[in-house]
Amino acid sequence: MMRMQNLSKVYRTHMIETHALRGFDIHVRQGEFVTVTGPSGSGKTTFLNIAGLLETFNGGEYVLDGVDVKGMSDDARSRLRNEKLGFIFQGFNLIPDLNLYDNVDVPLRYRGLSAADRDKRIKDALAQVGLGSRIKHYPAELSGGQQQRVAIARALAGSPKLLLADEPTGNLDTQMARSVMELLEEINAGGTTILMVTHDPELAVRAQRNVHIIDGQVSDLVKKMPSLFDVNSTSATVSATA
Amino acid sequence: MLRYYFLLGVRNLRRNPILTALMVLTLAIGVAASVSTLTILHVMSGDPIPHKSQRLLAPLIDNAPSRGYVQGSKPGDNQMSYRDAINLSASKQGERRTAVYGVAGAIEAARPDLPVEGVNGLGVESSYFAMFETPFLYGNAWSETEDKSKAKVVVLNSVKSEKLFGKENPVGKHIRMINEDFQVVGVLNNWNPLPRYTHPIGSGSAISGVDEMFIPFSTAISLELQPNGNTTCQSDVQPGWQGFLDSECTWIQYWFETKTVADRGAVKDYLDAYMAEQRKLGRYQRQQPAQLFNVMQWMDYLEIVSNDTRLSVWLSFGFLLLCLVNTVGLLLAKFSVRAPEVGVRRALGATQGDIFRQFLMEAGVIGIAGGFAGLLLALGSLALIAQQSKDLAAVARMDWPMLALTMVLALIASLLAGLLPTWRACQVTPAIQLKSQ
Repeated sequence: MMRMQNLSKVYRTHMIETHALRGFDIHVRQGEFVTVTGPSGSGKTTFLNIAGLLETFNGGEYVLDGVDVKGMSDDARSRLRNEKLGFIFQGFNLIPDLNLYDNVDVPLRYRGLSAADRDKRIKDALAQVGLGSRIKHYPAELSGGQQQRVAIARALAGSPKLLLADEPTGNLDTQMARSVMELLEEINAGGTTILMVTHDPELAVRAQRNVHIIDGQVSDLVKKMPSLFDVNSTSATVSATA
Repeated sequence: MLRYYFLLGVRNLRRNPILTALMVLTLAIGVAASVSTLTILHVMSGDPIPHKSQRLLAPLIDNAPSRGYVQGSKPGDNQMSYRDAINLSASKQGERRTAVYGVAGAIEAARPDLPVEGVNGLGVESSYFAMFETPFLYGNAWSETEDKSKAKVVVLNSVKSEKLFGKENPVGKHIRMINEDFQVVGVLNNWNPLPRYTHPIGSGSAISGVDEMFIPFSTAISLELQPNGNTTCQSDVQPGWQGFLDSECTWIQYWFETKTVADRGAVKDYLDAYMAEQRKLGRYQRQQPAQLFNVMQWMDYLEIVSNDTRLSVWLSFGFLLLCLVNTVGLLLAKFSVRAPEVGVRRALGATQGDIFRQFLMEAGVIGIAGGFAGLLLALGSLALIAQQSKDLAAVARMDWPMLALTMVLALIASLLAGLLPTWRACQVTPAIQLKSQ
């Protein structure tokens, strides 16, 4: 589904150079649910931004669903992002002036789908997250958990190949977090690949495998499902690079 | 997609309503100021007969005395003497030609209980009506034969006709005017070009005033009707009407119409030859060549549009520029708080181009709102301007082209003002915005 090899990302200012990622290797297979953990400043967000084509990288290789993204133009990355990726953010990132229907509609608009197709996808996605009856409501009228469900619906409506979640339960209480996690697991069970950054160890261990990042490198691997992850296999590589 | 952006733009008008209102108002004031002054310039400087203005030619012959003359200076007057007018009419140059001068008098009402009506008009040759394509409500122009016979015939404008005869067709009826009986041969249908280019010098002004009746030039001369307008006499004048006609006094506007634009050269050649011939007869002390102007050149030469009017247009556009700078600032403020939304849209697949189009469309929607508000303000300010004087009342009126220009100007202004804020919005780094939410 996605593979990064020897990837590096350096932030430069006039004074300093920061290596956010170095020699970063990861391979996520179709249908996997992978959590990404690590201390603050370890490079989790940088990794997720690069995975989500929101940032470029300095070296190495990144292939997303068979497409080598290195050297792609900003427009091409935007189109690829729209077609293949779904995003779920810690802060939900719904557009407050748009109702639920229009919020879910946003990524579909950029794909140029027909009105009928968009309508079906929006209603299906909102129904899937249990908010089918509230399509005319505005984000401010919903609880945090419900808002995150809308964000999930927005991500799902475009039928993404890879769902990127950046601490999706970080702003939710335990009950809501559990509910959102169950929803993500349900989505994953439906075949969608999920890559989730989290600080919550409980959630991290619920995924099929966990990748721990320290100082911009994958530090160790938590093998949970041997059938999906094999450290000895070169084709399923999540390797720690010294 | 443009419809989507437009609807988003309309929806976002409600976001920050005070800021939006300020932008709309700023734009509206700038546009209204520009359009108001431009409307006046447009009416005053518009081509009154665009399909023909190149072929209608006003000659200018300087017959002023040599005293005080500096080589290359403008002629002593912009009108023509009777002697020259008669000679030019006899020349048969061009396709048509006419002398024009202002006349005035009184019309005695048919009923003794009604008061005498004052009347302003022009003494013209029969070709005047065809040359300037005057529309007739009833009847026609008089004929060349009637020119020659100094017939007492009259063409009325529709207002005067209605005043004298009501709604009925007065052609064939008689009016008692200037102590003579005149037969009505035609009624013009609401013809009052702005500026009054056929006779811009003289009674009233080039802008205000109405010609209520037209009589043959030859008839007016035979009735010894004094010119109702400017008369310039810079040489001695013998006593009596004939003395006045034989003098070098200038009081007539003259026009040629040529068949093609290229025929202008032939008329100019004739004028040069005519002046040379007259010089041999002892006329024209100044060595000023004959000049020939088409309609728009004539309006420019006579400075129908004053420099003040042009300056006020420039100033108002300067003011619009200031309003635009203000709008840029307000749009920057409005768009800068939308950085999180830009981040989200970019993450969901919007290209920089998509963001650019969305935000520029939003600026355009503000422009459309500003255009409507500006239109109302412009109409209000034109109404105020019209109250200042009769001249201004004639020109302070908005037509469809100016109305369309108001909207286009507001739209262009808003799009220009939106360029920098939109470009800034496109530069938002989505990753930073998404994390800072």
